[in-house]
Amino acid sequence: MKARGFGKLEIIGGAMVLGLVVVAISAPLLAPHDPTRAVAATYGDPGAPSLVFPMGTDQLGRDVLSRIIYGARVSLTVGLAAMAVTIAIGVLIGLVSGFFGGAVDVALMRFTDVMLTLPALLLAMAFVAVLRPSLLSILLVIGLVSWTQVARVVRAETLSMSRRDFVLAAQALGAHPGRLIARHILPNVLPVVVVMAALGTSNTLLLDAALSFLGLGVPPPTPTWGRMIEEATIYFRTAPWLATFPGLAIFYAVLAFNLLGYGVLRARTQ
Amino acid sequence: MIGTWYKRALFAIVAPVTLFVCGCGRGGGEVNLPHGAAVLRIADADDVPTLDPAAGYDTESWTFEQAIFDTLVRYGDDNVELEPDLATTWESSSDARTFTFHLRRDARFSNGRAVTGDDFRYGIERVLDPATNSRGMEYYRGIVGSADFAARRAAHVRGIETPNPFTIVFHLDSPDPIFVHKLTMPFASAVPREVAQKWGDDFSHHVVGSGAFMLQQWLGGERLVLVRNPYYFQKGQPRLDAIVDSLGVTPELQWLRYEAGDLDAVIEIPPAEFPYVMKTPRLRALTQKKTTVTTRYLGMNCQMWPFTDARVRQAINYGIDRDKLVALLNGRGVAATGVLPPNLPGFDPSLKGYSYDPKRARELLEEAHLAAGFTFELWMRADPTMSMLGQSIQQDLALVGLHVEIKPVAWGPFLEAIRDPRTVQAFLSAWEADFPDPQNFLGVLLGRDQWRANNDTFYYNPQFQELIDPAAEQTDFKVRYQLYNRAEQIVVADAPWAFLYYPVVYVITQPWVHDYTLNPMRPTRFERIWVSKR
Repeated sequence: MKARGFGKLEIIGGAMVLGLVVVAISAPLLAPHDPTRAVAATYGDPGAPSLVFPMGTDQLGRDVLSRIIYGARVSLTVGLAAMAVTIAIGVLIGLVSGFFGGAVDVALMRFTDVMLTLPALLLAMAFVAVLRPSLLSILLVIGLVSWTQVARVVRAETLSMSRRDFVLAAQALGAHPGRLIARHILPNVLPVVVVMAALGTSNTLLLDAALSFLGLGVPPPTPTWGRMIEEATIYFRTAPWLATFPGLAIFYAVLAFNLLGYGVLRARTQ
Repeated sequence: MIGTWYKRALFAIVAPVTLFVCGCGRGGGEVNLPHGAAVLRIADADDVPTLDPAAGYDTESWTFEQAIFDTLVRYGDDNVELEPDLATTWESSSDARTFTFHLRRDARFSNGRAVTGDDFRYGIERVLDPATNSRGMEYYRGIVGSADFAARRAAHVRGIETPNPFTIVFHLDSPDPIFVHKLTMPFASAVPREVAQKWGDDFSHHVVGSGAFMLQQWLGGERLVLVRNPYYFQKGQPRLDAIVDSLGVTPELQWLRYEAGDLDAVIEIPPAEFPYVMKTPRLRALTQKKTTVTTRYLGMNCQMWPFTDARVRQAINYGIDRDKLVALLNGRGVAATGVLPPNLPGFDPSLKGYSYDPKRARELLEEAHLAAGFTFELWMRADPTMSMLGQSIQQDLALVGLHVEIKPVAWGPFLEAIRDPRTVQAFLSAWEADFPDPQNFLGVLLGRDQWRANNDTFYYNPQFQELIDPAAEQTDFKVRYQLYNRAEQIVVADAPWAFLYYPVVYVITQPWVHDYTLNPMRPTRFERIWVSKR
């Protein structure tokens, strides 16, 4: 067996994610302009990329580069926080279902099956329509519609773990079910969860962009990549850079998390 | 008419019905027109809501209703001067309560039957009949006996007399000097009773009128085809053989088809293409400009905090950069000074509106003890242009310490919400004149009797009301406009609206399209348009 270490994919992916995190955190330092204010008088007639505005200015006179830099904050915050919500719900349901089995398992897994049949985007749209779109509601909604896969995988792992000798031994010693789950099963399920989180983040990022594109994302003036593309659609023929740059940004972020996720996955299965 | 997008709301209601009705007609493939026919090809983003003159109250429906039906009087092709349509002459009594029209004798419906005064009476009675549920009802309520007719206490409206087949007389309860203008609306069209009663609710798909064109084919959401009415009374008109309207074509797609030569006219150049058109002399020469009789405004609910305070409403007016809004529209607008748009008779050129003055806005907020600012929701129709305007206003007001939450809503729910006194704090809306008189703005949009109807800001000021009530009945137009101008000054000071701009529309036609004229207040008429060899 090959010695386990970092593969190329993980390093590239990790570096790309790190880059994204740095951009998001230091957005006020990196962005040349205020992303919500007009900095050029290109009202109604977007400005082409130039030396002053390398990615051009939009129909409201705002600097596209600054908006993309600030957009990284929203995308990353929503992507990661939504993933945390996804993991929290998925792990909880998976653990309970796998550990207790019986009627609890049947009830929870059938519920999960029902949720799996519903398209995530459609469900998310319905949720957002009911709640008011805000940063908090968006990440909650995305978490609420993406936990099912995590729950199923965690349940399977829990099921196999709970029949292992060290768990049975702890049980024989009279350990409380809560202690069994927290101390013995959860730590052993976590590596799977980490892989799922790394792989799933690109999905939550895309879902966030899709909701923004449909006008259901974090509301303006907060710049989001999805909304930037949406607002650029009518200018696609005359000002293609307006949609291209946020599109590339989404592409970059998704690629970064996918490379990292696949890297971690490969390292684990080798 | 509220905005120009009334059609979307109606579409939501009409579309399912249309699809159902036309479902069986689908697959009827090609347009059935003779080779070499003179055809005008246009397109619309949505289906046509209706062709029933009692039902339509939007730009798109009226475009085709005025081609299919005739009224007693109409406006000129490019102006809002009254012209004869089926009435050759008319006179009004000096007290503006009795109006007599003399009809031409050679007018026929497209089924060949002669048009008489009874057909006009029937058209208006259909509108007044509560079972028709027509939005035009309010315009003809002033006719004597209309209430009895609506309550089914009378078989006919007592105040509409037809002493002989070619004379029709209207008697009104109170003076209405602009009553003749109300008869230019398609609501007051001549409608053949036998056809309308035969089809009932489905008359919209089987319309028969006396206008220049008649309906040949209407595939819901796909295509509307009108062909010339062989019985049309104007000799030598229409000059087109047919009009083909492709439905469900977005403005962006319309533009591509125009450039490919597949469309003869585009009624609204998409915002993204507009700067390019203006920079290209060849295209620019093909455009026509129309200053609509429309005012776009930001309405503030005067019954909801913090807009109960006039100083806050004034601050909003000072805090919005109107020139920037017009720039965002590539100059397709004129910054507004008040309620009445410039080409409306009675417009007051001396009226001083609000300038862009963020400092003054902050002072007013301080006086209102709101120096720390506040957050409010701004409702608008979900639409790219509205969103752009909303974000610009959001930027401007952020500079005076106000936080605007943009709330885009579908058109139907939007209309419903703004009518509720306790739901919407502020909204973006527009009003397009139905007839050229200040009453159509000041009375309809700001009168106390219009609460829960069209007065969506729930504005009320007794001084204002005391001016507009007598103004509506004033027959001396000089005095009438003076009263309305004084009323408008009060409204501007009270600022229930932030007066934004008066929209300008650019239409582009192909070089082979001739005599395509724009009317400031009504859709383009097709009778005189002709096409040469492409």
